[in-house]
Amino acid sequence: MILGWVNDIWEGVTSFVTGMRTTARFFTENVRGQGGGAAVTRQYPQQPAQVVGERVRGHLFNEAKICIVCHACDKVCPVDCFSMEGERDENNKIRASRFDIDLSKCIYCGLCVRACPTDSLSMTTAFELDPHREDVGRYLFTRNASQLEQRLDAPTVERLTALANRPREELTTEERAFVDAHLDTQGRHLIGMYGLGYYTPEQKAAADAEREAKKKAKDAAAAAAKAKAAAATPPPAAAPAPAPKVEPKPAAGPEAPAS
Amino acid sequence: MSLGSGVDALAAWLSGTPASWWGILIAILLLWVAPLLLVVFPVAAVGQIIERKVAAAMQRRYGPNTVGFDGPLRFAFRIAFFFLPRAKQDRLFSGFCGLPVIRTVLRVATRLGLGQLAADGVKMLGKEDLVPAGADGAVFRIAPYLALLGAFLPFCAVPFAQHLVMLEVPVGALYAISVSGITVMALLMAGWGSGNKFSLLGGMRAVAQVVSYEIPVGLAIAGVVLWTGSLDLSTIVGQQYRPGVLTFTGWNLLQSPFLALLAGVFFLAGLAECQRTPFDMAEAESELVSGFNTEYSGLRWGMFAMAEYTEMILVGALFSTLFLGGYQSPIGEEWIVQLPVFLESLVHLTIFALKFVSTLVLMVWIRWTLPRFRVDQVMRLCWLTLVPLCLVGLFGIAVTMVLAGGTTAGDAYGRLAARERLDLGIVGHLVAWLVPLALGAALVVAARKKHGQMHPALRQLSGGQA
Repeated sequence: MILGWVNDIWEGVTSFVTGMRTTARFFTENVRGQGGGAAVTRQYPQQPAQVVGERVRGHLFNEAKICIVCHACDKVCPVDCFSMEGERDENNKIRASRFDIDLSKCIYCGLCVRACPTDSLSMTTAFELDPHREDVGRYLFTRNASQLEQRLDAPTVERLTALANRPREELTTEERAFVDAHLDTQGRHLIGMYGLGYYTPEQKAAADAEREAKKKAKDAAAAAAKAKAAAATPPPAAAPAPAPKVEPKPAAGPEAPAS
Repeated sequence: MSLGSGVDALAAWLSGTPASWWGILIAILLLWVAPLLLVVFPVAAVGQIIERKVAAAMQRRYGPNTVGFDGPLRFAFRIAFFFLPRAKQDRLFSGFCGLPVIRTVLRVATRLGLGQLAADGVKMLGKEDLVPAGADGAVFRIAPYLALLGAFLPFCAVPFAQHLVMLEVPVGALYAISVSGITVMALLMAGWGSGNKFSLLGGMRAVAQVVSYEIPVGLAIAGVVLWTGSLDLSTIVGQQYRPGVLTFTGWNLLQSPFLALLAGVFFLAGLAECQRTPFDMAEAESELVSGFNTEYSGLRWGMFAMAEYTEMILVGALFSTLFLGGYQSPIGEEWIVQLPVFLESLVHLTIFALKFVSTLVLMVWIRWTLPRFRVDQVMRLCWLTLVPLCLVGLFGIAVTMVLAGGTTAGDAYGRLAARERLDLGIVGHLVAWLVPLALGAALVVAARKKHGQMHPALRQLSGGQA
């Protein structure tokens, strides 16, 4: 009986020592910075974060060049985080002139990506929403509710990006007023801007002029063809009849996939 | 007029001999306040962060290392320079924080988690002081104070330095363990007053456990008392003094394997006394939510936490006093004693603090190594292992003393008037160590031969066949 007792104590003591040795090893590893916490934990804000996987639903990105502003994403979005506007380009196609995603509302559900007919919307693996970071925060701004409807053109965004990353003390009064008019650091809406205002005012004027010129040329060509056809064969008047039906199509076209 | 050596010496140093009344007054204040204010309070407060950092390191984490001091410092600058415009305040603030020394200090403090400590403290102060609807209000409210009282009172008898003893109690060891029993009452009151069955269970467990573990603690102290012939903690420390460089050879821990055994038992039982894992039956998160302190919030909960760390320090302090030579330096003691009273007290206080902080770290180490016992295992460990081990130790010490020809003739208070120190000499020491060790080793070898390598549970499963 006594020997059993001694054996129990011996086993208790040895297993205790084994356990203490294990934790002591971990402790010294950690203190020396080899293995230990340094091997397991990534000090996130200081060290770059690890991307968890390919299928992560990070924040949204809109490829503005192929977006047709069909509002499919807007309609399917459960939290109404999109606001967009379109303009006609020189080929009379609708292009995004503004595509703002309110990331403070976005719930990263991915429904908009499924709804998108042209695959211009996609979810990236990026998840950091710090407006002050050069890489991820390039087109991310905090705005307040009254600034939400303001439209930013590409040059404005470029200028804001440049100014927002500089310390406020260095800005001139005019620059400061410009930033304050468009951004609000205390604002509760984090806006990702991917449309960027497709045109600068000059570009817009040029595109409009080009479109008008094209339209005039086309109309002239059509009129000439019509006159020519009328001169050649007057009886088949049914041929131009479908034309009014076809004509509104370019205007309604971008909306069509949404319905 | 004599109020004990500490008061007299300090008063004399303060006001010149003979001590005047104001010298005595200041001396008493210093003696009562200094150790608590300088050592026990800070260590008990920092204990939390020590625990978190050590635990993190043992679990391959970093622990709190991010909360800084920017906010409070900025606030302080706003208050201090209220007459300056805001931009100027900010510039002053960033200039101050940019100083290399300040920056280094702030960064180190942040990395050590001191900011987290401060933030936790402020958070605790700001919390609502809740009393549950079904609680026994008065009992519930008083319990935390009693817990703190039970944790702090024993320090009165602990010598922090040669002249830094609050109360010169002739039966200091007895006083310390009996006064610390108040904590049991506090735990039971907290459990009962909460009006919550889990809390009550926690309180009952705490009482059962602490009352049981007071026996091994008492027996371990009895061994030291038998060896030194005194219950006075100052005498016990003084008796461990050895002249020369290797002062630590006088430590009780190294006098005899039986005393070392008692030291181990004292440490384990002390761990159980202050309800630390692996003996934290009273809290047992996985079974009782948080046991006796489930219903507490804010500052009252903070008092329990403070009491826990203070008790850990108490166990460490008693362990150092009884077995590690108390406040004495392990190497070379004479030069410290020759310093002026004030400096000498400071040096001794530091050494003592180092000793009990290292025992505190050992407790934290144990906590993050071992899982919690079951209730029956805790009781079995106490009654079937620690108490018999204590008896073996006591018997061994008695036999050693008889063989070495020592006597323990004390006066009525247990304080030895004049007693020759029991000094075994080198040969005696070797014999006193080697013979019991050989006996123990023989016993262990025999036990291993009989019961083999197999784990008891496996042995039971295999029908008792090795």
